[in-house]
Amino acid sequence: MNDASAPVLTARGVRLGFADDVVLDDIDLEVAPREFVAMVGASGVGKSTLLRAFAGLLAPQRGDVHLSTAEASASRDCSMVFQAPRLFPWRRVRANVELGLEGLGLSRDERRTRAMEPLSLVGLEELAERWPRTLSGGQQQRVGIARALAVRPRVLFMDEPFSALDALTRQRLQSELTELRQRSDAAIVFVTHDIEEAVLLADRVVVLAKPDKGAPATVRDIVTIDLPLARRREQSGFRDHVQRLEQHIGVAATPEETTS
Amino acid sequence: MTRPARHRRTLISAVSLATLVTLWETALRVGWLPSNLVPLPSQIPGVLWAEVLDGIWLDVVLSSLSHYSIGLVIGSVLGIAVGMAAALLPRFDAAHSWLARLLRPIPPLAWIPFAIIWFGVTETAAAFIISIGVFWINYFTSYSAVRAIDDGYYEVARAFGQGGFSARLAKISLPAAAPGILGGLRAGLGQGWMTVVAAELFGIPGIGQRMMEASGLLATDVVVVYMLTIAALYALFDFLFMRIQRRVLRWQQ
Repeated sequence: MNDASAPVLTARGVRLGFADDVVLDDIDLEVAPREFVAMVGASGVGKSTLLRAFAGLLAPQRGDVHLSTAEASASRDCSMVFQAPRLFPWRRVRANVELGLEGLGLSRDERRTRAMEPLSLVGLEELAERWPRTLSGGQQQRVGIARALAVRPRVLFMDEPFSALDALTRQRLQSELTELRQRSDAAIVFVTHDIEEAVLLADRVVVLAKPDKGAPATVRDIVTIDLPLARRREQSGFRDHVQRLEQHIGVAATPEETTS
Repeated sequence: MTRPARHRRTLISAVSLATLVTLWETALRVGWLPSNLVPLPSQIPGVLWAEVLDGIWLDVVLSSLSHYSIGLVIGSVLGIAVGMAAALLPRFDAAHSWLARLLRPIPPLAWIPFAIIWFGVTETAAAFIISIGVFWINYFTSYSAVRAIDDGYYEVARAFGQGGFSARLAKISLPAAAPGILGGLRAGLGQGWMTVVAAELFGIPGIGQRMMEASGLLATDVVVVYMLTIAALYALFDFLFMRIQRRVLRWQQ
């Protein structure tokens, strides 16, 4: 395996929890460069917790997480899009996007130029000098995505980024994300509780589930979505993937191997 | 509030104040109130002018402003610094919390004996007393404002490589707590004026001392002149502060 195809994220035997309360255990996962991996599972299974551990925001109790080092200068290994956009209301849109660029050794002008690139990608360059409170929920989430892309990450973590949006905005952002990933070099790890959303966007879907009631969740299955990109819910094969994933999540007590 | 509604409100306030002053004047002129208890409102401008011409008004105002400014700056800076440190550093919070609880209920004026023992009847003593009152207001508002910051902002900062203490302080704690901190500063502006007069009643030169002298001579008109002076100075400071506050917090409007 050459360097270009080496995994950008490798997790081995990860255990996460709080003291004796283990939430997730034995998590193994590799994410290839530019790959889109979705993680699905029932509420409370620990999807967001695992994503935070991948992003270095939580330390695993056991096992390790390795992110490949960013090769480009003035970039970061990873960045994150949160469920709520969590923009800093005291910073204008452009200054919010610049957040991750601060401390990377860029001049003020370079930071401004770099911030405008992802803002342009998400179609918000004209709103760069606005305050976040003046933006709609969808626009705020786009700024959150631009903020994450600005640091040119090797891995972009997205924690249910569209779940708080109305259905129309969600659909629009889902299709924008499909376009964005084709123009970005980042691999994406995307947490969602919406199975259709996972099938719509991802190359692979990781199913997290508890083998028994009270046991920590683990990776039940990893399903490859072999449908061409720019997917539609009506296209053939889409429902099959959705049903297979639903079955895995819903019938947690009776494990069943699935390949696709 | 719409512009006509604002104008109506201003008009009602002005009419109400004018009515009160007229009643006050009338009550004295017709003998409903004894003239040795309160002065005639119509005498006040003349008495103010006489104080200005004698140079007394400017002297005492500058003197009080000096105590006030020094006490305000020291009390505010220390209050904000200690309040924020307590909110951000759990060990410091634990180390000082009992001391804070012990000292907080003691009114600033209770420190006057120590102020005089330590600094004498001097400007420093007045500034010290003023700074104590201002300190506690700023301490509590800063502490509460920093504690109320959504942890999510700190998580965002960490996710974007800004997790160090100084980055968090400059990029999150200070701007996010700014509305609360500025609220405390504004409250401190008022508290400072309340304390400045009380501190000067004990002989430190300034507005308070002049009011004490005048009351000893039953010159109630002079007392009222300086009461109005304090009100005008507070209104001026508050107005200027509001302008700055609006500018700093324009992201909220």
